[in-house]
Amino acid sequence: MADFMTGGNSPLISTLRNIILKWAPLFVLASLVLLFPIFEWLEDFQRGKDHIYLIDSRFFSIRNASRIAVAATPGLMVAIGVTFIIIMGSIDLSMEGTVSVSAVIFAFVFIALGGTLASWAWLAIPVALVVGGIMGFINGVIHVMFRVPSFMVSLAMGFVGTGFALVLTGGDRIRVEDELFRSLLTVRWLNFPIMCYVALLALLVAWFIQSRTTLGRNFYAVGGGEELAIASGLNVSRVRIMGFTLAGIFFALGALMAVGRIGIAETATGNNFMFISITAVVVGGTALWGGIGGVLNTLVGVLIVNVINNGMVVIGLPNWLQDGVLGVLVITAVVLSTNRKTISFVK
Amino acid sequence: MSFKFLKPYFPWITLVMLTIIVGIANPGFFSPAGMIILMADIVPLLIMALGMTFAIYIGGIDLSVQQIANMITVITTVYLAQFGIGVVFIVIGVGALFGILSGYVTTRFYVPSFVSTLAIGFVALSVAKWLSGQRALYMDATLRDNSFGWMFGKTWGIPHELIIAVVLVLLVWFLQTRTSFGRALKAVGSGELAAVASGLNVNRVKILAFCISGIFAAIAGLMFSVKLSGGDAQLANGFLLLAIVAVLVGGTPLTGGVGGVINTVCGTLIVMVIRAAMVYLEVDATQQQMVFGIILIIAITLTIDRSKLRGIVK
Repeated sequence: MADFMTGGNSPLISTLRNIILKWAPLFVLASLVLLFPIFEWLEDFQRGKDHIYLIDSRFFSIRNASRIAVAATPGLMVAIGVTFIIIMGSIDLSMEGTVSVSAVIFAFVFIALGGTLASWAWLAIPVALVVGGIMGFINGVIHVMFRVPSFMVSLAMGFVGTGFALVLTGGDRIRVEDELFRSLLTVRWLNFPIMCYVALLALLVAWFIQSRTTLGRNFYAVGGGEELAIASGLNVSRVRIMGFTLAGIFFALGALMAVGRIGIAETATGNNFMFISITAVVVGGTALWGGIGGVLNTLVGVLIVNVINNGMVVIGLPNWLQDGVLGVLVITAVVLSTNRKTISFVK
Repeated sequence: MSFKFLKPYFPWITLVMLTIIVGIANPGFFSPAGMIILMADIVPLLIMALGMTFAIYIGGIDLSVQQIANMITVITTVYLAQFGIGVVFIVIGVGALFGILSGYVTTRFYVPSFVSTLAIGFVALSVAKWLSGQRALYMDATLRDNSFGWMFGKTWGIPHELIIAVVLVLLVWFLQTRTSFGRALKAVGSGELAAVASGLNVNRVKILAFCISGIFAAIAGLMFSVKLSGGDAQLANGFLLLAIVAVLVGGTPLTGGVGGVINTVCGTLIVMVIRAAMVYLEVDATQQQMVFGIILIIAITLTIDRSKLRGIVK
């Protein structure tokens, strides 16, 4: 397939090309990590201060790495969820609603059952995951049964989710102050808060589902060519519904991380997840038309977006400029990390 | 009359049914004066959605419209004193520029429009923040009335916003149905590869579509700015998803090539009726968004013409 796409090149060059393209998102991430310290070095150099590149950098430090990791964690969970959907060639825009509902229901159940993880309140965690799963399941069922494009269903479900969270809270914020639950953020192992390890575990699970289970392979089958998948006897409807359910569960996981990070559950908990998570997926090299990419790409994509956001603050870029620079860098990252030889046209 | 014949009219049937249901529940909804006010209120959303229709019609999407409108509110407010009504040309120029930029990045760099327009939107947000100094700006009332007072007057009981809307709708309808550009749009939306094969300059068509989307977002921004007498980098927030919804509910699916600007008019009216219904039926403020979402799912499920979705639903 790849040889066919690259046409007349010799096998060696085309293999080399593919290797470079496969690792392109990682190159982008690495260059960004090396780029921001240059600005710090320049600034200190102008002031005449001693500054050894990388060693004296505030950006390139373990403390800052952990800051980036914490900021990236909720978004990573959401982005992993939507990765499965995008691999299938569909899209899910319901994450803001699902995250809000899961976060709010989690907080209510958690407080109602005792308000500390040491009691039966731990049940709130599976409850939240189930709520996320149900939201995704409804998405998938409407999408498949009524043959409504996933973009529209999930967009409307997002409204329903945010609205439902608003009905539940009446606009109030719910504080989750249990120390044991907050230890997700406050307790550090090797400089990184526990939530980062939980996220890593979730990433491993997602990677396992994607590459070591039939379901994962079916996602790629559906995304790579649905007619073929149907012709070979795959129950595509079931795969789609399971995909959306799985995505919902990961959105709920993102909600738990978001609550763990801020200590508050509210209707606005889900805000801003939609565009950033899908951008991160695309930046990581997963194609919006399906069949290409995976959760490891998404990890790199999420890190790229968060490194850009953090780096701009560390080097002291004016607030008004940050959005625009993010936009330009995102375009650059996508341009550098997409394999354009396999694209016939772009929508 | 067969069922198939009715299919293109599903959005209109949905609109009429919704209107009747709301009217029966609360006859006050049928008052012409109230209707006209409702319609005049929805004009900026309609304009934004009209532009968005072109982006969706070619199978793309434009997520930058909200930020372009935000930026335009600031630009209008800042430059009104200097240029008076001439600010319209700046508005249209800037809108076109950002639209072309989105189109250029999408077609030349192969960045999916979902990401490229989002990113260009961020650039517009930066411009808005820079120009406004991250504050809410206000217009001088006399200056505003001198230059744009005509926008919000009434002639024989018809608000001028509605007249502007009708003129713009006629304009894009002409563009879509009576020009070769309109036919090129349809060709690109229905089957891009076939369009390329038949020698059409697909990239130029696409860039133009995004350009129109940018211009209309800018006009919507101008209306916001004059209406609210000021500019702010967040003034138009919340309108992006509504504009997309208006296009989709009207029956222009994301796959492109089907539907069009008249559908979007219908979709915008459906959005208007649903939102007004919640006021007339006294739905609690906290429940409105959820109810909106549920009605939306039902409306979309009833409305979309599945025979035009070409086999697989993604």
